[in-house]
Amino acid sequence: MISVSNLRKTFDSTEALKGISFNIQRGECYGLLGPNGAGKTTTISIMSTLLEPTEGEVSIASYDLKKNPLECKKNIGVVPQEIALYDELSAYDNLLFWGSLYHVPKAKLTARIDETLNLFGLTERKNDKVKTYSGGMKRRINIASALLHRPKVLFMDEPTVGIDPQSRNLIFEVVEKLHKEGMTIVYTTHYMEEAERLCDRIGIIDNGEIIAQGTLDELRKSSSMKETVVISFSNLSDERYTKISNEWKESERFDDTIHFYAMNIQADLSKIILKCSDTGLDIIHIDIRKINLETIFLSLTGKQLRDK
Amino acid sequence: MIKLVQKDLKLFFSNRRNVLLTFALPIILITLFVFVFGGVGKSKNQSKKYDLTVSDLDNTASSKYAIAQLDSQKSIHVIPEQLIAAQEAVKKGKIDAVLILHKGFADSLNNGNSLPIELQYDEAQEAQVGMLQQALFSTFIALPYSKKDNMVKILNKRFDKILGKTDEKTRNRVHAQFETLNNTIENGREKKSDAKASDFSSGSEIKMTKLVAAKEDNSLSLVQSVAGTAIMMLLFSVAGMGATLLDEKQEGTLKKLLYSPMRPDNILFGKMIYVNIISVIQLLIMFVYAWMVFGLDIMHHLPSLLLMIIATAYACSSFGVFIASVAKSRQQVQGLSTLIVLLMSSIGGSMMPVFLMPAFLQKISVFTVNYWGIQGFYDIFWRLLPLIDFAFLSRVLALILIGTLFNFIALKMFRKNILKIA
Repeated sequence: MISVSNLRKTFDSTEALKGISFNIQRGECYGLLGPNGAGKTTTISIMSTLLEPTEGEVSIASYDLKKNPLECKKNIGVVPQEIALYDELSAYDNLLFWGSLYHVPKAKLTARIDETLNLFGLTERKNDKVKTYSGGMKRRINIASALLHRPKVLFMDEPTVGIDPQSRNLIFEVVEKLHKEGMTIVYTTHYMEEAERLCDRIGIIDNGEIIAQGTLDELRKSSSMKETVVISFSNLSDERYTKISNEWKESERFDDTIHFYAMNIQADLSKIILKCSDTGLDIIHIDIRKINLETIFLSLTGKQLRDK
Repeated sequence: MIKLVQKDLKLFFSNRRNVLLTFALPIILITLFVFVFGGVGKSKNQSKKYDLTVSDLDNTASSKYAIAQLDSQKSIHVIPEQLIAAQEAVKKGKIDAVLILHKGFADSLNNGNSLPIELQYDEAQEAQVGMLQQALFSTFIALPYSKKDNMVKILNKRFDKILGKTDEKTRNRVHAQFETLNNTIENGREKKSDAKASDFSSGSEIKMTKLVAAKEDNSLSLVQSVAGTAIMMLLFSVAGMGATLLDEKQEGTLKKLLYSPMRPDNILFGKMIYVNIISVIQLLIMFVYAWMVFGLDIMHHLPSLLLMIIATAYACSSFGVFIASVAKSRQQVQGLSTLIVLLMSSIGGSMMPVFLMPAFLQKISVFTVNYWGIQGFYDIFWRLLPLIDFAFLSRVLALILIGTLFNFIALKMFRKNILKIA
C-alpha cells in the first residue's frame, strides 16, 4: 500500500531525512517510533504531500506521489499533531466542513458524521462549539475529521499528545477498530506502550535514519538483548554470591541484589529461584524486567526515547 | 472553494464581536462624521496655482488680452479649451469650472459696459470655485482700465452720460482733467505694479452658473461622510479579515487544508471571495443606513451604486488579503494595516475632501483606494453621472485595476510566504 524508497529531505543545511526506506502492506498498522526531531513528522509531511522530498520515491495506493499527488491525497487521511479545528464552529460543523473538502455527497457525509460522532462518544455534544471542549474531546474530533472520506491510508502523527487517559483509551479502541476493518495506518509516537499495543510492525527512527524495523519480536531478537530477573536477599554474602555466580555466569551483584540475565525468562525463572534456595539465600523481592521498545531503543541508540 | 467561503462566513457571523466591529462601528462613525462635516466646502485655504479652463467665444484681441492678464496672475494658470469639451469635463468632475468669455466681450470692454463673462462650475467644488471667483473678480474689474488710453475713453463716456448735454468748453476741460488723472494713475502703476484693481473702480460682475448642482437631499457633506468613512472603515475591517489567513496558518488548519485534494491557490481565492462578500455587505449596510437615517437618495442610483460598491469592495478586500500575505503575523497585520489605512484615508479623502489638500497631496491621492471610491460615489450622488458615463466607469476600472494588482501580489506572496509552512 505504501512504498518509501531512499527518502531524503534537506532544510537549508540540515539533513532531516537521510535516505529512509520502508514498505507498508495493505491493512497493516506501522509505527514510526523515535524521539523529538528524529524525522517522524517530516516523513509524514512528505507522505501526505505537504512537503516535497529532496530525493527519493514514495507511492501510496499505487500512485506515485510526485506524478499523482491529487490521487494520493484522495486516498489518505491525516491526523496532524496539533489540533486543527475551528473553535468557533460546532463539532458537527467542523466535521461537515472537513468532510466536504473531499467531495463526499452531502447525505453520505451527514450519515458518516453521525456514525463517527457516535464512535468517538461525542454525539451529545455535537452542536456545542469546539472551544467549549476538553483537550481530549478536541483530539477525538481532530481524528474524526480525517476519517469522513473513508481513506485507504490513515497517517496519525502523535495523536495522543497531552490528553486524559479516558480519551487515550478511546482513541486506542478506535485505531484498533479501524485496523481490524482493514485500514492501513501509519502511527508516529514516542510512547512505547502505544506502539507495542497498536502496531504490527515498528520502524525505529533516529537522526533521520531508520535504525531498525520489524515486529516487536523481530526487534527483540535483532537487538540480542536479554531479559533480567532482579532478586533482593536478606542474607546475601560474598561467599553465597560466588557460589551462585559460578553456576549462573550471566549475573551481577548490586549490594543485596543480584541481576540474572536470561534469553527466556519464563523458562529460566524457576531454575534461578531453586539455585538461590539451594544456596541458602532468603528472597525478599523479585522483579522481572522484560525486553520492551524502551530498552530496545536504549540499546540501539544509547539514549532515552523521551526526555526525563 | 465555495465550502471555504461558507466556512469563513459561518465563522464570521458566529463571532458577535466581529459583526459588531464590522457593521456597528462604521455606522457610529458615519453618524459622527455627517455632523462634523457639516462645514465642508467653506475652507479658504489655497496655496497652489489653480488650473483654470477658459473658453474664448469672443476670440478677439481684447479677449485674448484678458486671458493673458488672467494667466499672468500668480495664482492662476489658464488652460484654453472648447466650450462643449470644457462643460463635459466639469460635468464629469474632471475640472471644477470653466470660465467663458462670451461674444461681445471686446465691445463691452471698449465701451465700458458689463463684461459678458460667465463661470460655469461644479457645486461639489464650491470651496475651490469661491476662491477662484475672488481672483477672477479682481482681474476683470481692473481689465477695462488696464489697457492704455482705455480708461480716459471710458471715463469720458461715462461722464458724458451723467452730464448730458454740456457745452463743448466744459466737456474739453473735464476730458483734460481725465487725461491728467490717467497720466497720474499710469505713473503710479509703474511705481506700484501690483496695485489692486479694486483701487480703481468697480462695476464688473461674473455670472455664476452651476453646471453640476446636487439635489438637496444629497448634500456634499453627507456623501463625503458616508463614502469617506465607509471606505476607511472597510479598509480596517478587511485587514482583520485577511489576517484570518495567518490565524489559519498559526492554528494548523491551513496545513490541514493543504492535506485535502484542493489546489493550494484556492485557499487564497476562497479567502478573497469571503472578504469580498463581507465588504459588499458592509458597504451596502452603510449606504442603506445613510438612506434611512440621513435621506441619501440611493434608490435613484441603484445600478451605479451597486457597481461602485462591488468595485470598491473588490479593491478594499484585495488590500486586506495583500496585507495578510506580506505580513508574518497577526500583530504585523495590525501594525501595518493601521499605518497604511490611516495614511490612505488621510491622503485619499476619507478624512477631509481631496480638494482642500495641497497640490502635491492631491496628486498622490490617486494612488489610494479611497480616492477612486470617494470620487465614484461623488459621481453617483453629486455629479449624477449615468452608469455608462466614461468618467464614472473609469473610476470603476481604476478600482478594479488596483484590486487586481493587490490580488496578484497577494497570490505571489501567499505562495512564497504562507504555503511554506513546514
